[in-house]
Formats: sequence, C-alpha cells, structure tokens
Amino acid sequence: MEQDSTDGVVIKQETVEPVELESRVIELCQETPKGITDALIMRHMPMVTAQQRAMAINRLLSTGRIDVLKGTGGLIYRLKDTQGTNVIKGADNQEKLVYQIITDAGNKGIWIRDIRYRCNIMITQLNKILRNLESKKLIKSVKSVAASKKKVYMLFNLEPDQSVTGGAWFSDQDFESEFVEVLNQQCFKFLQQKATTAKEAKQGPIAQRNASYASSKEVCKFITELGISKVQLSVADIETILNTLIYDGKVEMTVVASQSSSVEDSQTKLFRAVAPIMQPAGLMRIPCGVCPVFDRCHEGGAVSPSTCVYMKDWLEF
Amino acid sequence: MGGRGRGRGRGKPLSFDIESLGFQNKKELPKSKEEPPPLYPPLEFKPVPLQEGEEANYLLALKQEFRGSMRESPYFIKPQSAKKDIERYSDKYQLNGQNKRQGLGWTPDWNTFPKELRIREKKPKRLKLSVKPSLSGTKLKVKGQKGDAKEAENKLKQILQAEEDGEDDDDEDDEEEEKKKKEAEGEEEEEEELYDEEDIEEGTDYALSYFDNGEDYLDADDDALEDGPVY
Amino acid sequence: MAQSQVRLGGLLLQHQYGEIVENVGTFLASKGSFALRDITDGTKLGVNEVKKALCVLIQHNMMDFEKNRRGLIEYTVHINKVLLITRYPRYIYCAKTLYGDVGEFLVEELLSHGQMLMSQVCRRVSDRITQALEEGQSMDEFQVRKTFVELVKTHFLQRVASPPSDSGDNADSETELQVMEKEMFLIPPAMDIDYSKVHSSVTSSSKRKREDGEEGDKVAKRPRSTSPLSDEKNEDAPDKGVYWHVNFTRFHQFFRDQSVLSAVNSKIDRYACEIVRTMLRISEKTTVPLAPTTHPMSSHEIFQNLPPELDLNRQTLGEYLTLLAEDKTEIVNKAGESGGGMYVLNMQKALETLCKASIESVVQERFGSKCSRIFRLLLMKRHLEQKQVEDMAMIPAKEAKELLYKLFSENFVTMQEIPKTPDHAPSRTFYLFGINMHQVSRMLLDRCYKAMGNLISRREHENTENRRLVEKSQRVDAIAASLQSSGADTTQMSEVEEMITPPERQQLNKLKHDISKLEQSELQLDETIFLLESYLPGSAAMVMY
Repeated sequence: MEQDSTDGVVIKQETVEPVELESRVIELCQETPKGITDALIMRHMPMVTAQQRAMAINRLLSTGRIDVLKGTGGLIYRLKDTQGTNVIKGADNQEKLVYQIITDAGNKGIWIRDIRYRCNIMITQLNKILRNLESKKLIKSVKSVAASKKKVYMLFNLEPDQSVTGGAWFSDQDFESEFVEVLNQQCFKFLQQKATTAKEAKQGPIAQRNASYASSKEVCKFITELGISKVQLSVADIETILNTLIYDGKVEMTVVASQSSSVEDSQTKLFRAVAPIMQPAGLMRIPCGVCPVFDRCHEGGAVSPSTCVYMKDWLEF
Repeated sequence: MGGRGRGRGRGKPLSFDIESLGFQNKKELPKSKEEPPPLYPPLEFKPVPLQEGEEANYLLALKQEFRGSMRESPYFIKPQSAKKDIERYSDKYQLNGQNKRQGLGWTPDWNTFPKELRIREKKPKRLKLSVKPSLSGTKLKVKGQKGDAKEAENKLKQILQAEEDGEDDDDEDDEEEEKKKKEAEGEEEEEEELYDEEDIEEGTDYALSYFDNGEDYLDADDDALEDGPVY
Repeated sequence: MAQSQVRLGGLLLQHQYGEIVENVGTFLASKGSFALRDITDGTKLGVNEVKKALCVLIQHNMMDFEKNRRGLIEYTVHINKVLLITRYPRYIYCAKTLYGDVGEFLVEELLSHGQMLMSQVCRRVSDRITQALEEGQSMDEFQVRKTFVELVKTHFLQRVASPPSDSGDNADSETELQVMEKEMFLIPPAMDIDYSKVHSSVTSSSKRKREDGEEGDKVAKRPRSTSPLSDEKNEDAPDKGVYWHVNFTRFHQFFRDQSVLSAVNSKIDRYACEIVRTMLRISEKTTVPLAPTTHPMSSHEIFQNLPPELDLNRQTLGEYLTLLAEDKTEIVNKAGESGGGMYVLNMQKALETLCKASIESVVQERFGSKCSRIFRLLLMKRHLEQKQVEDMAMIPAKEAKELLYKLFSENFVTMQEIPKTPDHAPSRTFYLFGINMHQVSRMLLDRCYKAMGNLISRREHENTENRRLVEKSQRVDAIAASLQSSGADTTQMSEVEEMITPPERQQLNKLKHDISKLEQSELQLDETIFLLESYLPGSAAMVMY
C-alpha cells in the first residue's frame, strides 16, 4: 500500500498514435495466442520505427498486459491471461476471491470496505492480499475524486472511469473550480456578444431572438479556438458549463429539431444570453438585507437598529 | 514504470494559463474563525445602491410632506398630560402644533361611528384663544417692534443664548414644568362638562370643527414648508 | 399576528397618529377584539384617549367594530391596513401619473382624512390648487369633480361600506344603508357631474400661491378659505352620508401590472411592453380584477387597440406575440389559433416569476453568485442530493457542502431525509435538498417587516440624537422669518443665520441626508414587501374588496 501505486493512473490521454500502436500489438497477440515475435510486429507495421515499437512493448509490459518469454528465435510476446485463475499461479483461494471481486468492479473500482463486505476476510489479511496483488502488478489502487481519502482498487491495466478521475474538470483529483469559472465567463461573454450583434442587426423580433441563439457546438468551437483549455473539451463538457450559466440565471436554453439526419443529432440545444427582468430587491439595498446578525437585532439589545454599525457606515456615503 | 510522463505535469495544477486571461490569483477564502464572533462581524456583501431618479425623489418629497402634515393634523393625538419639552420664550415662534384641543379636534359622522365613543368635552374656558394658534399673539408683538428690528434680534439672541446655557439642568426643569402642568390640568378637569347631545346632533359644532381643523391642517402644511424640511 | 407586523404597525401608527393610537392599535393587534372598557383597562389609558384613538382608527378604515352577544361593541384593528401607511406616497404618486395634480391631491386628501364626502374632498382640492395658482386664476371645482368621477369609474376610489349601526333606534334608512358591492362605485345623484351649479361660486377672490407663506397673509387667509365652506355643512351636503376612501386593492392591481410591464420591458423591449399593456387594457373590460388569468384575446383585437404612435404593423405584432408566448417568463400564453391567434395573460404566473426573481436577487446579494446558482438549480430541479448539486452547479464538493449548509441554516433551502433502510441509518439515507417558495417568501416578508421597523427606529434615533440642534435651528429659522417680515436688512438676517455654527450646519445637513436616505429606503423596501405580499395568497395586498 505504501508504494506509490498511482503512477500508472495518470489520466489524460495524449496523442492517439502510441495508443493505437499498443492496441495493434494486443490484437496481434490475440490472433496468435501462443505468442508473437518482434519480426511479426515489424511485418504487420512496417511504418513504425524500432524506437516506437520498443516504447509500445515496454509500455504493454509495464502495464502488465503482455508477458515476455524467451523463445527459440528470440523473444516472444504473449498476451497476459487476465482471466483470473491462470494468472494467479500459486495463489490461494482467498487471493483468487479478492482478485475476482476486483475484476468484477471494472474500471469504476471498488473500495476496500466493500471488498471486505463481499469476501469476509479479516482486514489485516485482506491488506496483505491486496499488497501482494499490487506488487505483482495485477491490481492497482486509484484515488477517487468522490472522496479524496478513499482509494479504489481495479485491475492494473484498466483506465479508470470518469467517475473516479472526475473527467475534464479534475487534475490529480482536484476540482479545478477556477477553470470552470473562467469557462463559465467566457461562454457567457460569447453568448452576450452574439445577443448584442443580433440586437444591432435591427431585424424582426423573432429573427433577432433566433440570431442570439448559439448551439453548444458553436460555443465549443469558440472555446477551443480561444485556446484557454489545455485539455480537449467535448461538446458535452461545454454543455455542462452552459448549464451552470442557466443556473446563474444568465442564459436560457431551448431544444430544437436539427436538420441533421443522424439519430443522435436529431435535437440541438440552443443557448442565448438573457437580460434580468428586474433590479435587485429593495430589501437588498439596505443593510438589513445583508445583515448577518439580523435575528439578534432588537431595540435595546446588544445588536439594535440605533446602535447598528452597518447602518452607520452605510449612512456615511 | 515506463508510462510516466503521460498526462499533465504535476507541478502545474491548472490546465489553463490563468495569467494570460488577466486574472489574479484565486480569491482568498474566508478564514475560519476561532475567537468568539464579534458583535457586528464584517459584512461579506454590501447592500446594493438605492435607486435614484426623478420618481424616487418625488416619492420621497411626498412621503416627507405627508408625514409632516399628519403631525399637524387633528388625527394626531397628543397625550393629555403631554410631556412637553421645556417651555421657552422662543416657543412662541414655533408653529409645531401643540394640541390645544381638549376634545377630539374633529368630528366623526356619528351616524356611522359607535356613539359610545363620544367624548365629554371640557367646556372651553377661553374658546377664542384655544382655537387660534399662539402665533397671532406673537405676530402682533413682533409687528409692534417693527421699527426696531435690530433690537428684537438682539433680544432674541440673548434668549437663545440663555436657553443654551440652561440646557444642562433641563431635566429638572422638565419635571417641574410637568408637575405644574398636571396640577393645572387637575383644576381644569373639574370644569369638564358634558355637552348637550342634541347640540352635537344638530351639527353646528360638527361642521365647524371639522372644517375648522381642516384649515388648521392646511395652514400647518404651509408652515411646514416655511419651516423647511420636517425632521 | 406576527410580531414583526405588530411592531411595524405600532411604529407607523405612532408616527402618523401619535402614541395613544399606537398603544390602542398595538394592544388590539396583539390581543384580538375587545370592548371599549377592556381596551381602557388593557392599555391603562384614559377613557377619552382610547375613544379618540378608536375614532381615528375607524375614520382611517383601519378598524371594524361589531356588537357581541352581550351587546357590547368589540373593536378589531386591521394591521394589514395599518401597514399600508408605508405605501401612501406611492398611491399618491400613482394618482398623479394617471390623473395629474388633481388626482394627486384627491388621493392625498383622502389618505390624510381616511374618508370624506365627495363634496368635501372636491372643495378642498379645488381650493388647494387655486392657492397654488397665479393670482387671479382659480381651479374650477367642476374639473375636480370630473377627475373624482374618473377615479371612481376606474375603481381607484370606492365608497365606505357603512357598518351596522350600534343604535337600532336611529333608523335613517339612507345612511344606514349597507352599500352593496355594485354600489361601491356609484356616484350619488346629487354629485353627478352634470350638477355644476357650484361652478360660479368657486371662482372667487384672488388667492395666493401655496408656497407663498408670508405670515401676515396666512392669518388673513384663514377666514377667506373657510367662508365658501361654511354655508355647506355636512348635514346639508347634497351627498351627506356617502363617504369615499381609497381602494387600495385597485392601486395594488395597478402596481402589479406596472411591475409585470417593467419586467417585459427589460426582458424583451419597449414594443413587447406596450403590447402587454394593450392586452391589460383590453382585459380590464372583460376580466374580473385580480383574476389569475385574463380572458383570451385575439391578435386582431390586440392590433385594433394598439396605441397608434407605436407604429407596429400586423406582422410584427404577430411576431412579438409568438415571442412573448414562447418566452420563459410565461406571462403571455397562447390559447388558440382563431382570430389570428388567441392569447391570454397569466398574471399569477407573472407574479410568481417576479417574486422568484426577487428572491433570487436576495440570495445573490446576500450569499453570492455560487449560492444563487445552487438556489436556482434547486428551484429548477426541485429535489437534488448534495452530490448532484456539486456536479450540476460545478462547485467543488467541500464548498458546495458549505454553501448548501448556509442556505439550509438560513432557511432558504429545505432538506428531506429518505431512508433506504428501515433502520434509518444515516449512511443509508438519501438527503434531498429543495426549496419551498412559499416558506421562503414568508420568511423574507417577515424580514422586510422587521427591516422596515428597523429603518423607522433608526430614523427616530437620529432625530432624538439631534433633537436639541433641530429645535435650535427651527427657532433660528422662525426668528429669521419674523425678522424678515418686519423688514430686517441682509446684515441682520445673516447675523441671525450665523447663530447656527458651521459645524452645526454640517451636522444638520448630515442629519437631513441620513433621514432622506432612510426614508428613501423605506419606500424601496416597500416594493419588495408589495411583491411578496402579492405573491403570497391571502395576504393583504391582493384581497378582493
């Protein structure tokens, strides 16, 4: 447990290429269960340099997805059996049970407490088993964003689910609220600009409203071009941000049937900036509106209208 | 562990360049308080500004004028044993309505008001005087001195000065004043007498007092204007 | 009766009618209905003082009385009517915007006297205006009556319903008549505006401008003003027994309409606002006042009634109506397709929208943007778990938890426990957060009443603190005035004025500023009170007459 087990869990994907290369290698291994040679890989992927190939192999080895064996004509790579029993050679039944439970949890992982609950193994014993499995690089523990102190266990070679990593808004399990707020402001700015342009165009009322709408795709494009995000944000990510603007009361959303023929795109979400319908309430123009000790305030008390310092300050200007 | 290096560097927690957008560092979070909270903790949010404009100003003027005029209206009932501030010579210059009336000061339509609310009125001893504000008397005096306004002014100044000097022991004066007044009122009480019911029913008093007081009210209004804002 | 209301009512009564009325009003407001003797005992006031106070309250339509089973008259104070005092300037202002100076003075007079005969109030108003006019000009009382009739026609004024008489023997059938609802707005035949004989008698001698308050003139003015009235005693008044007072509900309806119009104006534009105004005007003829929705009206009908200066063609109107009907404020609903489209105004919904916006602004200004986001989110989604709030509002877990707790502890947000297991174990319980709009509105209304009381209280405090100085300045002003009238020269005048030292002058100015600011706040706070009262069912503002 003490060993740094989060190393392999770094979240954000990078360029697509190495990943593709790795999956091609895995595919080849699957086609040839007995194992493949370096030469075979070269034959199938002639464009790949030796260096790239070596990196992919190393990566697959380190994440425990393939094994390397010494064959007659050099090294042979073979798919690691992740189907339990074969892998855990010499493991006892308890270890197998725990491994199975963790396998079932998939890439969402499972808390140690839930493992215990399922297998009924003493905590000290369970810890030992988990340490054991971890050192064999069969499983790993991942910090979950749901609760910063809790770790979940999953198979070593799995990419943690977004519910564990938090997705685009998380960096090392930390929610990047500043990032969210900046996006919130930028999206609003964009929509506001659009509304202003629509107003200035002096068209009919309907045309003006329609011109003030922007689809989430459009907003997404704007944000991407703005280049403020180092992470590629999806349209869904931007919609999440746009929704916060709805909850801020600054934006309205409407759904229209789109021209696109594909099924998923049959509806388009349109957003537009709207003006507030009224000024802040009269109550909020006086100190009593914002007073934190209002309930303690009464004439003759320690806090009272006559002695109120908020009133005094407020009357000063 | 060949996989390291994927994802973002650890040193940089933000996935965007905050300075490039002209933002300052993150806002300071409110510190947790350990000492007992102060009586008036600092405000986290300030009230928004009041609305201004012609309408707001007019409404304010209406409000202040209405309030001022109600003070002078017959509906504003002062306690009979009115706690009056120390009587000053210069009070004569003030037009703030002392309620000189012993009765209601206005007359309800007894056809619709419960008759049990009729008041036995004091027989007005000096009816004429009690109806007119003390101003008229003063007025004459000042007019008499018309030729020598300077003298009058000096005199008034002296009076003011004297009053100011005497302010410290005002409270005692107040009490004494009140005692005297109460005694005086006791005497007057005995002179109280029930008005003839018929008299009221007839309405002679009715119309008179109603409108008379209305006039009082109007004048008071003018006075309020003249005296400047009503505080 | 809520304590904050009783306190505020007391303060208002004290300022308007003095502390005796305050004592009686507060006693009845907090204790219930009582007979004269009980009030005297309960307030420890003299019987005459209590009688005076009761008369004032009845005169100003703030009190009802009724004979109980033992034959005693019991008095009930209507604190809701008392609380309307804060709104008096707005009623007067509203009458001014609709009916000019005459309307303004009519409503002002009626509010200062509670109830008056039409003949009385019209006479007084024409005199008042005449005084304000240039020398030689005068206000035709007939014009005043015309405005009065207009105000009655539009229901801004109504008759005072005569209470049942306490003495059965006095059987004057005309005055004892219970004014039926439809007669509430009936001008007595004698006061019909065709009756214009008064005409000539009013255009009399020269009157002074109102602001010309020269003392000598004022004293002389008194008999002159009284004389035309003296031959018209109330008993002989052609409309005797028919008293009028301000119909607050009608004013409130107007205020409600104004806030809806202003919302449409800021949300869409001036044209949309004028269209809704036209719809409101049309519905005045077809719909009972204060109905939650209006009768449907066709696009054609709306087009016919648009003010010509708006210069809106039929197609654009159609577009605006579509826009309005599709807007999230839901003030305008489409009710059908006939006549180029049928539309209704949903005033109840509009009020709800306004009230929501108002409460949201409270959350925003008191707790900040993040809380306001959470608040709106909960309003939209009704019930959410903390985790859902975090995810949807995109606020970090710890902060979201703190903010939710803050809103919860300040009673803006409710929490519901839904146990998953019968043992109610906290770990297996859902906690659903939500918002009860009525509860929040009520809480805020109460806060407003208390805040209003605080403002008045503070004003009183400022006055007390500066009483000596104010008295001094009043005396100096009085001296200056009398000196001026006796022909003092400027040096003398300035000497008198110098009796107030510069620091004193400064303090007086500060006081004036503070008082004005506090009073301006009272007026603006009342707007929030009005909105919340209108939204909450059964509250004072929107009770049918």
